[in-house]
Amino acid sequence: MAKIGVVLILLVVIVAVFAPFLVPHDPTDQNLESAQQPPVGFGSTSVEEVPVQENGSVVIEDGNIVTEERTVSENTSWSHPFGTDGNGRDVFSRVIYGARTSMIVGIIGTLIAAVFGVVVGLTAGYYGGRVEDTLMRASDIMLAFPSLVLAIALVGVWGNAAIKIPDPFVVSGLSETVRSALGLAVGMPETITVPGTVIIVVALVNWVWFARVARGEALSLRGQEYVKAARAVGADNSYIIRKHILPNAITPIMVLATIQVAAIILLESALSFLGFSGTNLSWGFDISQGRRFQSTSWWIATMPGLAIVLTVIGLNLVGDWLRDALDPDIGGEGGV
Amino acid sequence: MSLARFLFRRSLQGIFVIWGVVTVVFGLRFVAPGKPENVLLPPDVSETTRQQVAAELGLDQPLYLQYLDYIAGLPFGEMGTSLVTRTPASGRVLSTLPATLELAIAATVVAIVIAIPLGVISATRRHNPADYGATLFSLVGISTPNFWLGVMLVILFSVQLGWFPSSRRPVGIGIDAVLADLVALQLGAAADGLREWLYYITLPAITLGTYFTALITRLTRNGMLEELGEEYVRAARAKGLPETLVRYKHALRNTLIPIITVLGLQLGTLIGGAVITERVFRWPGLGTLIINSIQARDWPVVQASIIIIGVGFVVVNIFVDALYRYINPQVGES
Repeated sequence: MAKIGVVLILLVVIVAVFAPFLVPHDPTDQNLESAQQPPVGFGSTSVEEVPVQENGSVVIEDGNIVTEERTVSENTSWSHPFGTDGNGRDVFSRVIYGARTSMIVGIIGTLIAAVFGVVVGLTAGYYGGRVEDTLMRASDIMLAFPSLVLAIALVGVWGNAAIKIPDPFVVSGLSETVRSALGLAVGMPETITVPGTVIIVVALVNWVWFARVARGEALSLRGQEYVKAARAVGADNSYIIRKHILPNAITPIMVLATIQVAAIILLESALSFLGFSGTNLSWGFDISQGRRFQSTSWWIATMPGLAIVLTVIGLNLVGDWLRDALDPDIGGEGGV
Repeated sequence: MSLARFLFRRSLQGIFVIWGVVTVVFGLRFVAPGKPENVLLPPDVSETTRQQVAAELGLDQPLYLQYLDYIAGLPFGEMGTSLVTRTPASGRVLSTLPATLELAIAATVVAIVIAIPLGVISATRRHNPADYGATLFSLVGISTPNFWLGVMLVILFSVQLGWFPSSRRPVGIGIDAVLADLVALQLGAAADGLREWLYYITLPAITLGTYFTALITRLTRNGMLEELGEEYVRAARAKGLPETLVRYKHALRNTLIPIITVLGLQLGTLIGGAVITERVFRWPGLGTLIINSIQARDWPVVQASIIIIGVGFVVVNIFVDALYRYINPQVGES
């Protein structure tokens, strides 16, 4: 099972990194003429009664509108394998590009939360006493906030500023011909949007899990013989924490990090779904768009959701496997 | 330590946590860009009117006075005035609470009723198709964002099959109305009301409950597997106790104790899930109020909502801890 998880994660990472080479269309390109086109394999033809029009007005005979039967077909094409959304954007391309947002927020958000939480947790666990009490009380307070509610309140307060960084595979400033000669992607968005505020917020509502785990580890390690020995030969505390405590506490932190990437991806998608995201290229945002077309075009919301489920399943499988293999004793909040 | 002393200590801790929540939430408003009174007023209003309104709302006071004032009002349920409706913020929050509680309780009940048998079956028939099915379900269940699940359920069961409504729940259909009919012995009306209530709550309850069903299935399975390997189970079997009694009276009982604690801590996830489920089904509850208030920059209502959720969290967890001590008296000080 863990192999399936690794394959899924690798797939999402590769797709996210090489997105410009994998998509048939610019994910932001609108084409209203081919809006709401179904995915390949789901085209249909139906017969509808349409009013007969003459010179731009309907024909009325005996008080009734004259109608004729006309075959309406919903075309599908391999150009849009997952169909198109309400604005005629390619759903497949949007799902591929959406992986970038999820990966950026999931990985950077987890890293920030982990670094901050681990530093605080190790310090508290190692020194004990008042530092530790303060941390534990602070984490009690953090736990009383529902993380999604706190996150939307923070994004509501701080706004959802995003940074645009240039896409390394789409070098702007070069003409299309030069780009295609160099093997670079052509006709794709030139920047990657990094939703900065959202990243900070997801890190802020999740660091406490890392702090709790790191504290627990430091607490059990500080009494070990080798730590006492290091202290006896005069090593200073920050050296002991870095060289002796951290390396031995790293296993449960890694397991937690895997699960937290999944939790943060779910949190980010929920924020985007509620309209608090810093970018429009996100799975959650696309699901909220698809909801508006739920009675006619099921695929718009379905496809990005499947992408989230597969990504999170991959991370959970690897997290479970790591947990079973390494058996650290940790908990952690699951998701939304 | 006696139960009374335990409750006293936990209540003191609880009050401290609530104070922390209040302080964080209060601070949040003042890092928000823009002055609160500007939310109320059109941009072209004169400076004197602006100051008048600020004075009326107490916003001209120094920050620490506003903070002390806010804290002093809390024990009396005073949490400021909604900037949008100009009514007490706590009243707005409390009026939406029943709808959210209905949803949260329905989801929890569904989750417990399905998940515990599923987890037990899964643990006692290891490596059977039933076990694989339950394990796969719990993996997919904890990996699925509930808002997406909600949209999928609406597409399948409301749009395609027409079994459930896709419109929002009309006013007057609630479990409170059903109970009122029941008390008045209007059994026919109560049955109709109950049917209507189920008609509207089924999809939202499944949406919110799936994650918890998956989680509890997993916890029950793992807990049962662990307990069934313990000494006391072997002893019970050795003395000839029927397997049913061994499993359900002893192993399951010991499995459930830690699950209760996990569920108490997951209350935040439940409320967060309710917020987003309400958005999908346009459910007239606390989640809808919170999101609308954040978008309208109606901070007093946002503050009141978060504080009331925090109080709920603290109270439920004290209750859970007390229950834990009651079920398992060995649990001492931790």
